[in-house]
Amino acid sequence: MNRKFFSSPAILLLPSILAIGFVIIIPLIFSFYTSFTSYKLTRPDSLFNFVGFRNYERLIDNAKFWAAFGRTILFLAVVLNLELLFGLGIALLINKITWGQRTLRTIMMFPMMFSPILVGFQWKYIFNDNIGLLNNFLYLFGYESAIPWLIDKYLAMGSIMVAEIWANTSIFAILLLAGLLGIPRDPIEAARVDGCNSWQVFKNITLPFLMPFIFIALTIRSLDVGRAYDIVHIMTGGGPAMRTELLWTMIARIGYKDANMGFANAMSYVSIILSIAFTYYFFTKLVAARRELGQQ
Amino acid sequence: MKLFKSFLIVISIFSIPFSVFAVDKSFPNDKVTMWGDYSGITLDVKLIGGAPYDPLYEVMIPIWEEKTGGKVSILSKKSHFELDKEIKQDIAAGNISYCVVSNHTSFATQYGDIYRDLNGIVPGDFLSEFVPLVLDHSTVDGRLVQLPQHSDVSNLWYIKSIYEDADNKKRFKAEYGYDLAPPETLEQWKEQAIFWSDPPNFYGTQYVGKEEAITGRFYELVIAEGGALFDDEWRPTFNDEAGQRALQWFVDLYNAQAVPAGVLNYLWDETGLGFASGTVALNLDWGGWGAYFNSEDSKIGGDVGLVRFPMGSGGKRGGWSGSHTYSILNGCPDENLEAAASLIWILTNHEAQMHEARGGKLPTMNRVWDDIASEMNAEGNAFMSDLFSTFKASMAEDAFTPPLIPEWIPFSNIIFPELQAAIVGDKTVKEALDAAAKETDYLMQDAGYY
Repeated sequence: MNRKFFSSPAILLLPSILAIGFVIIIPLIFSFYTSFTSYKLTRPDSLFNFVGFRNYERLIDNAKFWAAFGRTILFLAVVLNLELLFGLGIALLINKITWGQRTLRTIMMFPMMFSPILVGFQWKYIFNDNIGLLNNFLYLFGYESAIPWLIDKYLAMGSIMVAEIWANTSIFAILLLAGLLGIPRDPIEAARVDGCNSWQVFKNITLPFLMPFIFIALTIRSLDVGRAYDIVHIMTGGGPAMRTELLWTMIARIGYKDANMGFANAMSYVSIILSIAFTYYFFTKLVAARRELGQQ
Repeated sequence: MKLFKSFLIVISIFSIPFSVFAVDKSFPNDKVTMWGDYSGITLDVKLIGGAPYDPLYEVMIPIWEEKTGGKVSILSKKSHFELDKEIKQDIAAGNISYCVVSNHTSFATQYGDIYRDLNGIVPGDFLSEFVPLVLDHSTVDGRLVQLPQHSDVSNLWYIKSIYEDADNKKRFKAEYGYDLAPPETLEQWKEQAIFWSDPPNFYGTQYVGKEEAITGRFYELVIAEGGALFDDEWRPTFNDEAGQRALQWFVDLYNAQAVPAGVLNYLWDETGLGFASGTVALNLDWGGWGAYFNSEDSKIGGDVGLVRFPMGSGGKRGGWSGSHTYSILNGCPDENLEAAASLIWILTNHEAQMHEARGGKLPTMNRVWDDIASEMNAEGNAFMSDLFSTFKASMAEDAFTPPLIPEWIPFSNIIFPELQAAIVGDKTVKEALDAAAKETDYLMQDAGYY
């Protein structure tokens, strides 16, 4: 037993295990423990005030939390689908280009280079009702009312979605372009010889080949979008009247501004169910897509 | 581009008082000085940052370093809301061994006992120069945990020319039945705001619409309407009739489009820049914008008037007030304590406060109120002279702090979304206030008030 434990592979793996333990496992266990306490950041002694499932019980009755939960699902669904659609379109168009493709690929990645904070500020002022570019542009065409982009019940969430999509569609485009470049030409040429039109080629050959890439991109982005915070925080702060409140803006406020970290951590652990569900779903789909292509 | 220009204007304006008026390094008007030889000492500090605050550090800290031989290491410089979060994380991590930190009377109660009592560290002769009420507000559980640099209270700025226009006077009198003059009551303020509005080109007034900013505004209107946020046992009472009248005032202005449509996303910069852009008739704001509003960089420069906060139906004026302060942490090593006290002295002394006051910031020392008024009178600067006399009256007669309890910010986070919900029409005024009162009741119960 001892020999096995101290074997060379185990010793070689030990640094990694320790690193993962310190960086991931211990913080996870600690934060999970605090979700059963009334831990307040400003009262370190409250770390040992064990309250059992009280935080979780309060969550069940907390309508605002579940509203934010639902809003986050809506946000994920809309943003992921639109990013996929636009990313696929951009990838297909760039794949067609024979001259300047590299330059376009670089330009396409520009939005990814901005920090989410900057993206938030940029779009906040584009959508500002008074000095914003968009409303002032609309005034040029005779529109005489200031549209409250970041206030209106529907427009506020839509405006944040636009910013998120603008910043991250290129991730989809890059991944899908990589997939497109890897598709073998033979089946496509054979299909064309057999008289398939462009739509049939896309639907029956290109898309099935792309599906694993699509699901990888969806998985990565679902984890990312599920944690959306910076852009929302800057553009609306989750308001007004919680109309744009997502899980992580709510959790950050309760954890850091109210200093109520125990309750915030309970919220976080319930919230990651969402990420796990999306990841599980997309991975299942990824495996199925690979199987369809005859890959393992 | 417009935004970028505005940003540059703000930076340049807040820099003006510090670049135009050189500091007399002998500090001739400071009766108490706290120089010492602090060679070899480096003070770790965390400060509130931003255009209104940085110029003071840029002037005073180099002087302090030159005169004392000590060094200041700024570990962090950010907005007070961000600094607040950082301090809370520092407390949780046990990382509170730095010496000096920016503080605020509204925030200080949250942080427990991490600060040193400045009584005994700062000479009594120096403390006696401060307005006693402001020092009271800086005291938590009987301990003076912060030294005030400048105070906030708001009054009503307006565009003078539109009030002087004969045609406007005639139209207003015909519509409302009384003479057009800057508002003296909340009701007049609302009526005049509606009268002036011509959206989206011009708005009657505006208000800060989110976070603690709108909570504070609501709070002072509740007081003006004769109500209170809490009763003597700290049970919420803001959902009574006075509270409802206060919130209805915000709702009515919003529904009448007398405020910009995006007002619920506005904080201090947006309202200040909005007023300076000449698109808002009446603007409730602090004195710190005064020099900018009346400057050439503002579209209403030379055309700015100021009146006291209008009265509510309760016969009181709004006067939500607080002070920006500096504290010394318990974790500051004893050998650095004298140097730390010296540093907060130079950031709050007569010379520093005079420089801040030249930009319109409100002093916390009695003598500075008099000296800045004399200086402005001597210069024939009627605008700044009027600014200080108006704000001095407000500080003396109207100013009140928010409840100095650790639950102020959590309470604010409960109530401000409900205020917004009523304003945008998601809830009625009563529904919104009742919902906030119910949640506040839980907060206060959990905190052990009853």
